[in-house]
Amino acid sequence: MIHQVQNPIVELHDLTVSYLQKPVLWGIDLTLPAASIIGIIGPNGAGKSTLLKAMMGLIELSSGYVKIFDQDLDKVRSRVSYVPQKESVDWDFPASALDVVLMGRYGKLGLFNRPRKADKEVAMECLRQVDMVDFAKRQISQLSGGQQQRVFLARALAQEADLYFMDEPFAGVDAATEKAIINLMKTMSNQGKTVVVVHHDLQSAQEYFDWAVLLNLRLIASGPVDQVMTTKLLQETYGGKLTLLAEVGELLTKKEFPSREKQWE
Amino acid sequence: MNIVDFISLSDPNVRFVVIGSMLLAASSAIVGCFTLLKKKALVGDAVAHSVLPGVCLAFLLSGVKNPVFLIIGAFITGWLSLVLIDFITARSKIKEDTAIGLILSVFFGIGILMLTVIQKSGNAAQSGLDHFLFGQAASLVGMDLIVFSAISLILIIAVVICYKELAIIAFDEGFAQSIGFPVRALELLLTTLTVLAVVTGIQAIGVVLMAAMLITPAAAARFWTSNLKVMILLAAALGALSGLIGAYISYLAPAMPTGPWIVMVISLIAILSFFLAPQKGILVRWFKQKNFQTQMLEENILKLFYQLGEINGNFYTPRTVEQIMERRPFQDFRLRKGLIKLKRQGYLESTSQGWAYTQAGKTKGQRITKLHRLWELYLTEYLRIAPDHVHEDAETIEHIITPELEKRLEEKLEYPRLDPHQSEIPYHK
Ligand SMILES: Nc1ncnc2c1ncn2[C@@H]1O[C@H](COP(=O)(O)OP(=O)(O)OP(=O)(O)O)[C@@H](O)[C@H]1O
Ligand SMILES: [Mg+2]
Repeated sequence: MIHQVQNPIVELHDLTVSYLQKPVLWGIDLTLPAASIIGIIGPNGAGKSTLLKAMMGLIELSSGYVKIFDQDLDKVRSRVSYVPQKESVDWDFPASALDVVLMGRYGKLGLFNRPRKADKEVAMECLRQVDMVDFAKRQISQLSGGQQQRVFLARALAQEADLYFMDEPFAGVDAATEKAIINLMKTMSNQGKTVVVVHHDLQSAQEYFDWAVLLNLRLIASGPVDQVMTTKLLQETYGGKLTLLAEVGELLTKKEFPSREKQWE
Repeated sequence: MNIVDFISLSDPNVRFVVIGSMLLAASSAIVGCFTLLKKKALVGDAVAHSVLPGVCLAFLLSGVKNPVFLIIGAFITGWLSLVLIDFITARSKIKEDTAIGLILSVFFGIGILMLTVIQKSGNAAQSGLDHFLFGQAASLVGMDLIVFSAISLILIIAVVICYKELAIIAFDEGFAQSIGFPVRALELLLTTLTVLAVVTGIQAIGVVLMAAMLITPAAAARFWTSNLKVMILLAAALGALSGLIGAYISYLAPAMPTGPWIVMVISLIAILSFFLAPQKGILVRWFKQKNFQTQMLEENILKLFYQLGEINGNFYTPRTVEQIMERRPFQDFRLRKGLIKLKRQGYLESTSQGWAYTQAGKTKGQRITKLHRLWELYLTEYLRIAPDHVHEDAETIEHIITPELEKRLEEKLEYPRLDPHQSEIPYHK
């Protein structure tokens, strides 16, 4: 079930990526539609982060090519924004929330130019959009995980891009924050922007995304979310794990085994 | 030379040595901030030790102690060591820290060997060369001074120009690459700056301890601030200060190497920072905690007077220490200390029959009691915690609730009359 679209915003052709000779993404042909919210879904180690990095040109491709807005990434970089997994940076770095959001302006500023007053204003506005104005001057290590995630999001907004790649923006955020973020994404897609999100929760995927990509080292499905999120395709994606889990669950009910040790007491 | 002569810098020679030492210590501290934040502290150590064979080789080949040749030699082997570390890490199962240790000892060993050869050969010009092990600031004169100072200035200028770029590759390399910054080149730049920073210090501080000069000021500065710019300026200032003291000692005791002194000074500063710095320093944290404990004790005493007053219907009855202890077992000497302090603050007065509230004392005791009971009610009503579990929590929270929170709490609960234990909540009338 792999839908290809006309005039895609992202096009991957025969993309293969390897770490130390071991391929972790195999021959992926993928096209993504513009002005939509796209979920990339798959188990841990499926290569979701790797896929984003490959699309952002952050790792070498073993084969294939990536085209964004029908061009090489280098030509359109200023229109693309990348939000790494939150754990990829050291939050003990001496910087305030505002400092981090200002980094979103660096691409537009170019090398060696200092952020101007206007950039600071944009950064503050982006912090406002994620409801973090009160924390602008706060040292980033003193923010909660969810607040750090919002700061990363604000940094992406500050890039004023047309296409956003976000690696697990919902990891470790509470339900209210998740709602706020998804609303923000919906506004963005209404403005014609495209958001590509790595996501783990199958339940909310239906509701959040217009388009879903199922991935497990290879591309399993790509298409409108209601056609992709089927039991059969999900089982194929999560492989033996999902069925094994189901079996274990059944065993628990059948034997009336407590699911927590505590219940013995 | 006495301290007055030194401080007045009347001797131009002294003046230049002092300025030179401060400048190079400051510049390596500035670069060291980024080395530290990029988690490359060990790499700095490897470079520092690896420049020794380069220095010796340059001397052996040229036969003269010319700073330019020596720096070129140092730069080459310093760089070579980094390339080898990267190569070993990438091409074998050996981890980076092991590779660093390996390269460091091999290069330094070769350097020492060469130094021994040079010393044995009895070349007159070598007299200054052994300073490269532990440094001698006073020998920083003439051509040496000019060259090392020039490099220091270049380092500082480079960091000023590339501040934003160095900061972003230290914080989030992936992001920097995603916005099209030349990450490889910037990393190369930082490595080059690190090597140069080490090279500037070889004469005044020496290769053995130069890594400490790179990292310690940055680490000390980090204790005081969470702002990168402030951290850099502070590191530079601390570095310069240790450079100054080192230069002085070098004059005072010419036979003594300077490096260990400078490093001792900066280490002392780092240790003091560890204890004294606000927020991060452990002494300050300790004081804060101590203060909070005292505040809790005092407020608990005032609260107790209020509860005793509720029992007999008169809040201003004097109470003896024994009566207080009967109701709540404080530590005896802490209680007495607290009572005396509360008297000094005007919340209690001591009479012949014991201690009694003043007007202000009663107001304060009543407020604490009110907060305690409000919080208990809040916990049971809003967080659905069982009434017999809320007391402990309220014991702490009552001391930190601000007047604004107090007002919100009252409004949210709509000025209730009784707490979960059916005690009356005393509002101020
Ligand atoms: N730098 C690396 N070197 C070697 N192997 C790597 C590297 N990064 C990832 N891998 C491997 O590539 C595979 C895909 O990793 P990736 O991080 O893309 O997974 P993911 O889908 O993002 O997982 P998660 O849900 O845990 O974030 C994994 O098997 C992982 O072990
Ligand atoms: Mg991932």
